[in-house]
Amino acid sequence: MRRVTGLLLLVCLITSIMIGCSGEISGNKEIAFADAQWDSNKFHNAVAGIIAEKVYGYSWREVPGSTTVLHEGLLTGEVDVHMEVWTDNLATYNDDLAAGRLKELSINFDDNYQGIYVPRYVIEGDDERGIKPLAPDLRYIWDLKDYPDIFPDDENEGMGRIYGSIPGWEVDEILHRKYLHYGLDDNFIYFRPGSDAALATAITSAYDKGEPIAAYYWEPTWLLGMYDMVLLEDEPFDEDTYMEGETELPAVKVTIAASNNFTENNPEIVEFLSKYETSSQLTSEALAHMQETGDDYVETAKWFLRENEELLDKWLNSEDANTMKEYLNK
Amino acid sequence: MNTDWFYDFPFKIPIDLGAIDNAVRTFSAKYDSFFNVIRSGLNGFVNSIYNILNFIPWFVLILFIITAGWKLSKKVSTGILYGALLFLIGVAGLWTLMNETLSIIIASVIISLLLGFPLGIVISTSDRADRIMRPILDTMQTMPVFVYLIPAMLFFGLGKPPAVIATTIYAIVPTIRLTNHGIRQIDREVIEASLAFGSTRLQSLVKVQIPQALPTIMAGVNQTLMMAISMVVTTSMIGATGLGMEVLIGVNRVEIGRGLISGTAVVIIAIILDRITQGFVQQSEVKTDGQ
Repeated sequence: MRRVTGLLLLVCLITSIMIGCSGEISGNKEIAFADAQWDSNKFHNAVAGIIAEKVYGYSWREVPGSTTVLHEGLLTGEVDVHMEVWTDNLATYNDDLAAGRLKELSINFDDNYQGIYVPRYVIEGDDERGIKPLAPDLRYIWDLKDYPDIFPDDENEGMGRIYGSIPGWEVDEILHRKYLHYGLDDNFIYFRPGSDAALATAITSAYDKGEPIAAYYWEPTWLLGMYDMVLLEDEPFDEDTYMEGETELPAVKVTIAASNNFTENNPEIVEFLSKYETSSQLTSEALAHMQETGDDYVETAKWFLRENEELLDKWLNSEDANTMKEYLNK
Repeated sequence: MNTDWFYDFPFKIPIDLGAIDNAVRTFSAKYDSFFNVIRSGLNGFVNSIYNILNFIPWFVLILFIITAGWKLSKKVSTGILYGALLFLIGVAGLWTLMNETLSIIIASVIISLLLGFPLGIVISTSDRADRIMRPILDTMQTMPVFVYLIPAMLFFGLGKPPAVIATTIYAIVPTIRLTNHGIRQIDREVIEASLAFGSTRLQSLVKVQIPQALPTIMAGVNQTLMMAISMVVTTSMIGATGLGMEVLIGVNRVEIGRGLISGTAVVIIAIILDRITQGFVQQSEVKTDGQ
């Protein structure tokens, strides 16, 4: 019995080695995209990936990692292209760029907002769902002070709750300073939701129930693409005092960067990516579509390009744009 | 050669994940008032434990720990060591955070015991119940926490109530298992003897079986406590404040010092609670041996 098992195992081993060896050795025209593990990044990878695949004949894969790890990967050339470098979150980005350790190809988008959001029905009501406007005069962040009862904190009687940012994010500290700056600590708790998933769940669950909620969120995300939320206004942006929480948060410049090695050897892709430009709004819409339909990133990317064909004309020469359109409408 | 059939499954069942999502979400919206009652109940429970802990002056708690350590280990030095460790948490400025964390742990452990102990006894009396419960208990221990944390958040909001529920789901298992095991391992002759001397089944359970099983049951309680402590950082990811949140902030910001100090505080709590409950286990062993 034992001998038979051993023989079977041997056969399995040999066949698997043979099958493994006979596999096609893929060409070196491959792009390794950085995958910082959030939706919009994966989505842009898919958009750029299918264009590179169908127009230029590249294959593509994703390298997952955290922001800093991926940045190191770009410097060493283990990652070819990063479609979404949140430049403000990388302390060394500008220095590395100046020193020529990587190339910035274009600005993917720089119209992204972040701050404290409330559902629109809290301010304007929603006749269809039978929700009355609970805080019709809420417009600025400091107006929250008048409404602690509308956004109650379960754990502390008589206090309101503001869902802050994820602990460890730079913006979490800025928001906390803002909360103190506007004196919201008198009757509000600054509640740290602990993780991205927890924050998103808090907002979706409040929205489903039609309850008021005041929470930090940022664009571009499926959540803000899908739900009608209003960003509470703040003092106009000022570079010197925003870190102290005294003004609104600036839009972050989100760029596309590539490693030096990749830039030198792949001029076609570099030319295409240098023209690649979307917006936070467009990205949020695509992510909301993905959330609603349950499609994967590639399907969503195809849908997105079909909906926004004019982007292809901007990014590609007319011949390539037509190839792509034909493929999409097949 | 086409070998696709070799590696691809013959057919796939299309699972409508969206339907599951929607079902859970409409369920949570529909029974909102019911979940609100549980949520506020749990909130009140945790808050009252927190208030009691905060009401106790720090030196009283430290003295209590010193005496408990001394009595249970029969060594003064051990008691003083525990007291000194606890003092360290206080001087590091983490005392109220510790109380917050402890209130969640204690609430979860109390609920675990209230539910787990009777459940363990029921399972010990019936092989069929045992067979049914075993895979359920396995699931509770191995299901990745975030899978049920998200629905828990939908139902109970963010903060301490879902933290207590998640901790209980994870930590209740050893109480059930070891209560069951402790009662099952008693010699049949002992039970038969108690019945032969005219005791009812209930009397036999309360006066003979449970005391006999007590060391094992206490080991289960000890394990439940340890597992509850191990959930501290995980539950901070759903907004439970306390030491876990400090660790999370420290780790996320790569503030190694902050993470290390608050992490050490969690370890100190775990060690003290472990040694004290272990002391109870040994005491109960001594007692049953003496009978």
